[in-house]
Amino acid sequence: MLVALRDDFPILKREVNGYPLIYLDNAATTQKPQVVLDAMNEYYTSSNSNVHRAVHTLAGEATEGYESCRSQLKEWFNAERAVITSGTTEAINLVAHAWGRANLSEGDAIVLTEMEHHSDIVPWQMLAEERGIELRYVPVLEDFTLDMEVYAASLENAKLVCVVHTSNVLGVRNPLEKITELAHSNGALVLIDAAQGVPHERIDFQESDADFMAFSAHKMCGPTGIGALLVRPEVFETMQPFMGGGDMIETVTINGSTYQTNEHKFEAGTPRIAEAIGWCAAFEWMSKLDLRKEHQRLIGIAQWVANELRSMGISVYGRHDAADSAVVSFLHPSIQSEDLAHLFDARGIAVRTGHHCAQPLLHRLGISGTVRASFYLYNTMDEAETFIEQLKYITERFG
Amino acid sequence: MTYPEELAELIEEFQDIDDKMERLEMVFDMADEVIPFPPEHWTQTTKVQGCQSEAHVKVELQDGKILMLSGADAKLVQGLMGILSIAINGSAPAQALLLSPNFAEEMGILNSLSPSRSNGFRNMFDKVMKEIRILE
Repeated sequence: MLVALRDDFPILKREVNGYPLIYLDNAATTQKPQVVLDAMNEYYTSSNSNVHRAVHTLAGEATEGYESCRSQLKEWFNAERAVITSGTTEAINLVAHAWGRANLSEGDAIVLTEMEHHSDIVPWQMLAEERGIELRYVPVLEDFTLDMEVYAASLENAKLVCVVHTSNVLGVRNPLEKITELAHSNGALVLIDAAQGVPHERIDFQESDADFMAFSAHKMCGPTGIGALLVRPEVFETMQPFMGGGDMIETVTINGSTYQTNEHKFEAGTPRIAEAIGWCAAFEWMSKLDLRKEHQRLIGIAQWVANELRSMGISVYGRHDAADSAVVSFLHPSIQSEDLAHLFDARGIAVRTGHHCAQPLLHRLGISGTVRASFYLYNTMDEAETFIEQLKYITERFG
Repeated sequence: MTYPEELAELIEEFQDIDDKMERLEMVFDMADEVIPFPPEHWTQTTKVQGCQSEAHVKVELQDGKILMLSGADAKLVQGLMGILSIAINGSAPAQALLLSPNFAEEMGILNSLSPSRSNGFRNMFDKVMKEIRILE
């Protein structure tokens, strides 16, 4: 089964520095199955055209392809409103501009966590500076979980809670159900940064009760440059247009403009048509998998790797519970992280090093970066064993 | 690009090795070639910005010749500093400024030296050259 799945990914057949590629940088971006590449190629080969306002056949096909992505998003996530964006970062910025500017003012508070990716911190810092909004950060405890007592206490006068579904550094999945319930009972809306959640878990947006959910296609076998913002319909109505231009207008006169009332209101300019079509193909491809079963397999691999690392005296950052993602962040006691990543690369193994765009979290952990190995659908236990074997070899030779 | 003799020999030596890990080991060994720049003297001015690892350089003139002091927590970066030291220490500033950073690529150590990439070596090389231009 896994062999057949791997066959869908042409890149996995390549070698790097004379060794078979072992791609363990999936938390940064995942590889794309052939069907995604084919769908995008087919669009450019046969249907390339701009979407919406044209009656010719190609425009119809392009529009159908693009809007199919929205239908797919709504179906996959059980959502009523799905704005297509360039990715998670743009989706969060869209909330800050389109909802934040219309609904937040001086004296209001936004609750964030120390676990957030920079993309879920910086837009709020910019808005806070502009509007005199208070930002409150929920600390991360020694067991790599959020301090829920501080969280509960920080909700007074808060208008919005922004929380990462699953940490891109720790792999920890946050207690979103509890977080959302507490936020709503205190009158605050909830934005979930689900960039690392959607690849591992089939999320029902309506059941999650969140108000906003942001994520990217490329973390779930789709193309780069496209993502989405899911919004609860009542909240959607309170959002004001952020970017002006083509596709988001209803009428334009020299005296002013009126805007679309659906998601197009937030999709100014020519959208990412080929990427939307590619993402659709990725959804179709993923729909054939048992994501829950795959996740169990991957977290099993991550747990094994984490235990092996610990047995080698290596510091591991994360707990790897059943619902966490298959991300293993670690620091080698005697080999500097960047050096280690170069040495892994020499054996065809791709890992990531650095602050992973989560500097406040690393500051809390008292470190400046980690080496991160992240596993996804096509990774095998054999690859994990090779990773550990190579690490032992590297440690013996360079440690 | 013509390199100083010692560097040209090193490039050739690196090119003879097929295995990337062996090449990296050779670079790591070059870390000993630096004139040490102790961490207690590291400041924001000496820091190589945009580098994943902590890396610091200081360039001085001694009798009109270049003297580069350097240190980094990554062995790869310090090894590259060692190679750069071999290439420029004892040279006149004008001669040192002729050096291209491409030698790291030619040695098969780094895949890309694009200035837009957060690349410890490229940032370090540019900082050293900037300091030499100031001293010139």
